[in-house]
Amino acid sequence: MIMKTKEQIIKDLAPRKFTKLGKIWTALLIVVIIAGIIAYVDQLIKGQVVTNMRDYALWGIYISNFVFFVATSFVGTVVVSILRLTHKEWRTPLVRIAEVISLACIIMAGITIMIDMARPDRLLNLFIHARLQSPITWDVIIIPTYIVLSFLLLYFPLLPDMAILKKYYKENKPKLSKWYSTFSLNWTGSTIQKTIQAKSIKTIAYLIIPVGLILQTIDAWLFSTTYRVGWSSTNMGAYFISGAFVAGVGALITVVYVIRKAYKLEDYITDLHFDKMGRLLVLACLVYLYFNINEYLIPAFTASVEEETHLNLLFFGKYDPLFWFVIIGGLIVPIIVLLFKKGRKPLPMFIIAVLVVLGSWWKRYIIVTPTLLHPFLPIQGVPESWHHYFPSLHEWLITGATLAMALLIITMLFRYLPIIPIQRTTDENALLRSDKNKGL
Amino acid sequence: MNFSRKNILNFRYTILLVLGVLIFNSASNSLYAQKTKKDRIRLNIQYVKIMDGEIYFDIKASARIKKKTVKISNINLILYNELEEEKIKLGETTTNTDGESRFFLKNINEIRSDSSNTYNILVSFKGNDLYKKAKKNIQFKNANIKAKIITKDSVNYISATLSDASSKEPVADESLTVYIQRLFKPLRIGEEFNSTGDQGSILVPIDEGIPGVDGNLGIEVVLNESDDYGTVKAVVYAPIGVPIVDESTFDQRTMWSPRNKTPIFLLIFPNLLILGIWGFILYLIFNLFKLSKS
Repeated sequence: MIMKTKEQIIKDLAPRKFTKLGKIWTALLIVVIIAGIIAYVDQLIKGQVVTNMRDYALWGIYISNFVFFVATSFVGTVVVSILRLTHKEWRTPLVRIAEVISLACIIMAGITIMIDMARPDRLLNLFIHARLQSPITWDVIIIPTYIVLSFLLLYFPLLPDMAILKKYYKENKPKLSKWYSTFSLNWTGSTIQKTIQAKSIKTIAYLIIPVGLILQTIDAWLFSTTYRVGWSSTNMGAYFISGAFVAGVGALITVVYVIRKAYKLEDYITDLHFDKMGRLLVLACLVYLYFNINEYLIPAFTASVEEETHLNLLFFGKYDPLFWFVIIGGLIVPIIVLLFKKGRKPLPMFIIAVLVVLGSWWKRYIIVTPTLLHPFLPIQGVPESWHHYFPSLHEWLITGATLAMALLIITMLFRYLPIIPIQRTTDENALLRSDKNKGL
Repeated sequence: MNFSRKNILNFRYTILLVLGVLIFNSASNSLYAQKTKKDRIRLNIQYVKIMDGEIYFDIKASARIKKKTVKISNINLILYNELEEEKIKLGETTTNTDGESRFFLKNINEIRSDSSNTYNILVSFKGNDLYKKAKKNIQFKNANIKAKIITKDSVNYISATLSDASSKEPVADESLTVYIQRLFKPLRIGEEFNSTGDQGSILVPIDEGIPGVDGNLGIEVVLNESDDYGTVKAVVYAPIGVPIVDESTFDQRTMWSPRNKTPIFLLIFPNLLILGIWGFILYLIFNLFKLSKS
């Protein structure tokens, strides 16, 4: 990082108004969200008959999208907590982006599950009639828990930055300054405050790892406790955690690249950061590939009739383009490219990360749908529509809106929050300058 | 004024058009009806007698339509007792959606046999717009099965004797089958065909260890669709089975119980986890207050 004065850093990192492109982007997201809301209202009025979900494929794109959101929200646990606890200093310019992605995704995961419920007015029944034997109940408990923790993980480190921004905008934008003042919780940077803040951040960093692992595991157990071909596996928890690792880091790299370009943060987010993230992603992909081999090779080896039908459908059947895109495009190609230093440069990394995110999204689709279309107990003479599933226009619009909403949350938070922690960057910069002076 | 005249004209044309369509439609319907070829109904009738129980006729109606056998539902059938010189109406019955109907007799004395002690029953269908008239008759003699459990050398047997009810003579060389009553379908025991001997009797061993509610077994001896006697069934109940132990987990705390019967470990560990995690979260929120006050 280039050494800069505190004033320069604050000027660089203070939130900025949208550029023209930023406004177009935000408007586009709002249009997609409105289209989704219209489709959702229609779904509320007419019922889930507007979707292509039927008695066999009773979970469709909503649930696969929900699983994708849950997986991507794992980035907060990975980048912020694990890198913090392992003292990786290069994480500084990336943590806030990871925290925001994490919060946006877990909020949208919660909303997506409500969309899938079809009757949101019965939401309270999930609590009133909750049975602790049901993984659905565990999910209902863990998602709000992770939302609160993700918020706290974002908020505690923000306090000093809020105080800086309060001062920074005092002259030019007093109204905005007042907001920052409210949210800074009277932060003065006193020793007591610093101690409480450091203790709290450490507590969250420790706490969010088990909670993140529980969240991913419960998500996996929603499937593996349901006795179905392709789901009934003891591998599922670890498989989902490693998959979440891939989805989270992939999403982080994608967002980091776009934000770095849009806000011209090349001085702060350097090639070194991309190199490090690339290494992290290749590790994640290798682990996930290992679990994928476990997940498909062993059932193929011991193939029962049902497993064989399911695997044939994935390997050579209707779902083979998606399956091989996910495995080759979403895992093998990223591993090969990222193993080379040149592949870990920003642009190739961005392209690979987009591939990984797309692969991660479709991966959840092929986990959910093909299994549901092959129940153990075939029902004679069922309607033809039960045998196939591809999302309806309503489902695409609503799902598109949830993705757009996640992106809008990220966009709006970065409109008013510093993308890179200002206080921490200035501290590190000061340390760097003093080290250089000592060296001189 | 002109406007209203034009309207009336339009109205007339519309009425004419509607009438035209109606006439054409009804004409084409009647043409269609004349052209339709009626299908032939096939009737199948089985006589069933359960000793000390019901006596009934099972009737099935079907037709071959476009090379497929179709069950004919909702048709009215009339049953007659045919004698040498007269035909006595027994009653009427209607087929269900599976094309089946069951006609009960209060007892065998409700019908009369001919001079050879044979009963003649006729099932008749009058015909309708879709199907030609049809009839089918069945002849049978009245037979009895007497069954009892005997024990020889600690082995239980079912002993059954088939006899002609009119002559009281035992019936030889007829095949009887023995079943144990089960929930969905009777379970056959012994040979598939147990031919009656000169005394009209069979002796079939009953396997040990067959479960029954409170150890009770219902054992059926069946003369199945005999040409001469139809179907005759005798049922004997005997406490020679193994009592079924109720393995219901209804009152236990299981993974599939309602919430008030959640397993204890599932109450303890998840709640401990929830309380632990939310304890820390409350501590963190409290820290936020502390920060704002310090």
